[in-house]
Amino acid sequence: MATIAVNHLSFSYPTEDGQKPLTLNDLSATFPSGGFSLLTGPSGSGKSTLMKIISGLYPKFSGVITAGEVRLNDTKISDIPESDRGQLVAMMFQNPNQQFAMDTVERELIFALENQQVAPDHMMARVDRALDYVEITDLRHRQLNSLSGGEKQKVALAVIIAMRADTILLDEPFASVDPVARQLLLSKLSRLQREEHKTILISDHDLEDYDQYIDHLFVLNGTGDSLTLLDQKAAQQKMAAFQRQDTSNKQLQLPTTTDQAVIAAHQLTLTAGNATLISQPAMNFFKHHITLLTGANGTGKSTLLLAISKLHQYSGSLLLNQNEVAKMHRKQLYQQVALIFQDADQQFLNVTVAEELALSLKNSQQPTYFMDRIPGFLKQLHLEQLQDHVVYTLSGGQKKKLQILEMLIMATPVELFDEPFTGLDFTSLQTVMAIMKTVAHDCQQTMVIVSHQLFGLDALVDYHVTLKNQQLQYVGGLA
Amino acid sequence: MNPSFKFLLAVLIALEISFTSTWIVNLALAVIGLLLILTSRPTFKRLILLFFVPLIPASALAVAILLQSNAGIHFALVLFTRIYAYVFVGSAATLTTTVSDLVMSLEQNAHIPSKFAYGFLGAFNLLPKIVSEVNIIRAAGNMRGQALHIWSPQLYFKAILASLDWSENLAEAMTSHGFSEEAPRTYFKRIRVRWWDWLVLIGSLVLLQVALFGFHLQ
Repeated sequence: MATIAVNHLSFSYPTEDGQKPLTLNDLSATFPSGGFSLLTGPSGSGKSTLMKIISGLYPKFSGVITAGEVRLNDTKISDIPESDRGQLVAMMFQNPNQQFAMDTVERELIFALENQQVAPDHMMARVDRALDYVEITDLRHRQLNSLSGGEKQKVALAVIIAMRADTILLDEPFASVDPVARQLLLSKLSRLQREEHKTILISDHDLEDYDQYIDHLFVLNGTGDSLTLLDQKAAQQKMAAFQRQDTSNKQLQLPTTTDQAVIAAHQLTLTAGNATLISQPAMNFFKHHITLLTGANGTGKSTLLLAISKLHQYSGSLLLNQNEVAKMHRKQLYQQVALIFQDADQQFLNVTVAEELALSLKNSQQPTYFMDRIPGFLKQLHLEQLQDHVVYTLSGGQKKKLQILEMLIMATPVELFDEPFTGLDFTSLQTVMAIMKTVAHDCQQTMVIVSHQLFGLDALVDYHVTLKNQQLQYVGGLA
Repeated sequence: MNPSFKFLLAVLIALEISFTSTWIVNLALAVIGLLLILTSRPTFKRLILLFFVPLIPASALAVAILLQSNAGIHFALVLFTRIYAYVFVGSAATLTTTVSDLVMSLEQNAHIPSKFAYGFLGAFNLLPKIVSEVNIIRAAGNMRGQALHIWSPQLYFKAILASLDWSENLAEAMTSHGFSEEAPRTYFKRIRVRWWDWLVLIGSLVLLQVALFGFHLQ
């Protein structure tokens, strides 16, 4: 049991010219011991920063505390020796790809236990229990690199459980996790809180599914200068706005015989390591339509998009406009198809926001269309003030918005989106979807969108494909 | 054999044969190295590579000596066999040891700081990621109408940026999993130094001296 107290905390990432703009400004709050608290706020408000300060990673790795302090059980975080910290507070990161030091699941768990100086005889029992608790015993000897985003987050939770951390911090942990895995992780966390009296603090901009689990809802405002605990009633109201939209009765059309195929697969097989992900006799994606692709974690959705982009090998045939993808020249291929990566950093080629946009506009296939519309889009996405910012310093949500916009500007005929909506708050999500819809229509694009988040998507997409049991199939329902 | 001892032995052998010129010893070392490599059951492709890649520098050196200097056939032969001895002895050490065993041994037996040991291991685990990252960067460039060639500074800028990013994330991940530079750790897998490790190390070196000395006298 541990109480986290934030006292008049101000935090800054100093800029090159020595200025210290405050990311967090005079925040105070107490996260109650043994409670399940949810921290919400718009993209870019500083949720991740606050979490990393509480976990003791900042200011060690970045930024400076300009005023105030964070206390864990009345001890200043910076006064707790690093080697003891693991038992007090552990953190699960937003990006599932960047939280492991070892190569396999088992070795990562052992590494964490070795750091805590657990006696070697006790290690296996703890590893067994942690893997069992999260129901991932079968992943034990897998290479971490070969796991999907959701599986990695389960491993991250298993590490935290093995470490027996008192306080568990989770920074937007479900961004790339499907609803089933998300429910599983949430129920495990809730059990940890109830049975083992852990203090849990999750940051998330998406409040769906939380109401049955959480005790306290904290809101960080957009400018990072107010952190408030909502009372019961205000919390209920805020949660209600996020109730999972009942998508089960939303009906979408099935493709018609007049639709033209732009991507056609025949006897397509995709594998990852030794596992076969997709084995598909025949499948088409249709021209000038927006298709949603869903499926559980690790089924191979991202891998399919990578294969269409010639970034993952496949066997069988995969045609783009009647040309075999594997045989096409890169230059020619990427004028017809573009992939919007799950990890926004991979998309960026330049340093500042303005440079990124300029490059896209310069090489766009529809420059005149975008020329006068870009300022409007930037304003809608709240990016207009950030033009001089270095892209890598933007928040997760801001990066995502910039990435989607710059790829839309390219106006490539076929665009593949891999989880484009992660890290976006509710308003940003609506805006991004509206812009995508407009551009797809005006520039006659074909889009394939992989997304776990289904809220409001019925207004954007035409068709829905599910990936299950290695098979892709068109379905009429959205859920 | 203990991984640290194995690598120490390989380095000492390499040093020693750099300053001696007995081609029969070089050849014998290469053969012993090859036998050890064969015990690790390498793939056929790897074996072929092991034979042909050193052939280039080895023959280049030998030909250069034969044509350009008057050191004679003997010296050319020494250089030729020396290259093979380096490669086979080195490979015998690396192919029969896993990276994680080596790192654990370096940390536990050679007592190098754990920061270096795990930093090295982390970097090694990143190698396959770097290859795929470069492919992704080039694709990302093409998708924005920007061809990134192997000589484009932008390619390296992105690759370096990605590595910096990874290294910071790796450091944060290690810290959040309880790793601290100076703190003591326990070890799940103990890598021990046994008496026969000393015996093999010292015995091999003594044998090498005897062989070198014996051939030198002739």
